[in-house]
Amino acid sequence: MTLFPDTGGDPRAAVARSSDVLAWYGALGDAVIGNPPGFAVRKASLAYAFCEIANLSEAERKAAYFAGLLHAVGAIGNAAFRKGERLPERQARMESWDIPAQGARFCEELLALPAETADMVRWQAECWDGTGFPDQLRWHGIPIAAQMLGLADTFLRQADPEEALGYIGMNSGRAFSPDAARTFTMWFHMNAGEVATLPIPSDALRDEGPDAAEMLDDMADRIDAHNGVDHRWRRVADLALGAAEQLNFDAATLSSLALAAHIFGAGELASATVEDTDFDPLARLGIDRRAADAKLAADLADAFEALRPGASIVRSRAEWYDGTGKPAGLLHGQIPAGASVLAAAIAYERLARSERLDTASGTQFDPNVVRALMESAATRT
Amino acid sequence: MIELHERSRRISPSRIHEILLEHDCKSVTDPFMGLPTHLNYLKGHGISVHGGDLLEWFVRVGEGIVVNDLTILRDSEVAEIVEMLPGRIYSIDMFKAWEGVFFSEEQCVYLGVWHDNVRNLRSDQQTGLAVLGLWRAFCYWLQKIQSPDDMQDIPPSELAWSYIRQTEQWVISNMRRNTIRQGDVLATIAAQKTDALFLAPPARNSFRSSDSRIWMWEAWWQGNPYFTIEHAYRDSLLGARASDGPSYARAIATILSSAESIPLIVMQTTEQRIADLEPLVRNARANVKVFAPHPYEMYLIATH
Repeated sequence: MTLFPDTGGDPRAAVARSSDVLAWYGALGDAVIGNPPGFAVRKASLAYAFCEIANLSEAERKAAYFAGLLHAVGAIGNAAFRKGERLPERQARMESWDIPAQGARFCEELLALPAETADMVRWQAECWDGTGFPDQLRWHGIPIAAQMLGLADTFLRQADPEEALGYIGMNSGRAFSPDAARTFTMWFHMNAGEVATLPIPSDALRDEGPDAAEMLDDMADRIDAHNGVDHRWRRVADLALGAAEQLNFDAATLSSLALAAHIFGAGELASATVEDTDFDPLARLGIDRRAADAKLAADLADAFEALRPGASIVRSRAEWYDGTGKPAGLLHGQIPAGASVLAAAIAYERLARSERLDTASGTQFDPNVVRALMESAATRT
Repeated sequence: MIELHERSRRISPSRIHEILLEHDCKSVTDPFMGLPTHLNYLKGHGISVHGGDLLEWFVRVGEGIVVNDLTILRDSEVAEIVEMLPGRIYSIDMFKAWEGVFFSEEQCVYLGVWHDNVRNLRSDQQTGLAVLGLWRAFCYWLQKIQSPDDMQDIPPSELAWSYIRQTEQWVISNMRRNTIRQGDVLATIAAQKTDALFLAPPARNSFRSSDSRIWMWEAWWQGNPYFTIEHAYRDSLLGARASDGPSYARAIATILSSAESIPLIVMQTTEQRIADLEPLVRNARANVKVFAPHPYEMYLIATH
């Protein structure tokens, strides 16, 4: 399946796409942990600024930026957040200590990232006195850039910059090295506590490892594993693209639909419920949840140019053909064609008996889409 | 003025865990464990761990966080450790030798009080947790000597309280048998049959240049401010007997041959020392892989 329009082999376009996908990874990690939107970019920018004051090389600064961006990517699939059995608080806290190491393993697979990024992610939550996690490293065993990431995280989590200044000063020699605390104080007084967000330093990415499409495949698998619905996106994409071909969609809409199949599951990352198991896909009960998940998935992707075509489809996947859907109550042809197909494919994939989809034809789903989906599914089986 | 070492080898338990998982190892022995927080990490991830060291305070901490599956220190018990209790007679002059040299009068009094209070705890596990918490307060003081203007003045009892309280979170069970012993390397290796041996051997004569945060705390535990850890190593395999290059190499070779029945050896070393150690490992094992994520953190992974 083609996810992106052909750019005639322009390497800059490929790098821009990979950057967008990496930034999306960062946004997903934040969504799982419950950080506000944009947290990863702010943390990355702040870590970069701290590294600059600490006189780290430009390569290390850029690696720190990527580490900040991907700081929470290890939360995707972490047992403390994964759907399924709800862990006791203490056990969940201990499982969450593995987020940095899991994130590091993930970063090690992304060969395009600067080599130092993975270890910065691994040790971003270590404390100077050895009371951090996951490895309880202490003193100079913690790379300086990883300490800067820890500082950035602490600062951004404090409600008020002045409070953060006091808190970090109190923790000098404990959570942070005295040098790191001094670096923060210098930054604070130079910038009055204002975080200037920086663009992704794409030039630091190496031309190695998986491309943007492969990265999306991998992340979609991880999202489904996190949500307890292994490889759901692959089945949904197969159904949706089959129906779309029957309906003679053009190449651009097919690409957008394929993108949407990759990203729609991201909307469920932040919620405790799983659409797939908690609600009947043909019932009105659960439509609010579906619409909220659709909005979140669309919002997460909409910020990135490479993913934007998919976002517009995902946003309308909880609309009903008869105009009673959510969030906009779009009617018939107002609903993007890709969204009609995606919504029907998600429901079809979930239903034990496929003929039930007929019962929603004309109300929840476009009859033409239902017919195309059934025909395509019959051909494929 | 005390020198706090800037660079040390880095032991990353999450990385060791990845290596053990790759080789399907369920148990590991570490005869040079040092402060066994890495063994506690492995324990928390389901590996059965067996550690050993010559320094007694490392062993006490191991009893608190590695062997212990259950015991924690409650608030009232922490309070009994960090403050002078009315009616009890304390040997408050025990660490007077450090007064004015390293620490203030108040700090030296607290060191004496803590030394006595810790010995009155009911179990070895509680003692281990208290020693770990108090050590962190001690390290804070040493750090403050180096950076007096950058660190806050925190009352000793408050600092110790917060650190001891924190040790509770390291107490976990993995439903396996985990052991810690005070003994030389060969005794630790012989004591348990495990799937893997993790070795982070000390450098030749390294006990002579040990970090003050380590040897001073052993001195505190022994209640003797003049104590040097050279005594503890004197009769050990890597002690005075291995002070020259060939003897050191022979000692390492002895360790490797004593681990013949252990399927996997993971030796942690640094860029500086790998040239000395790699030939010894290659001599002992047919397959040796070098995994070098960082100059201060290199692993020789050896199998038959």
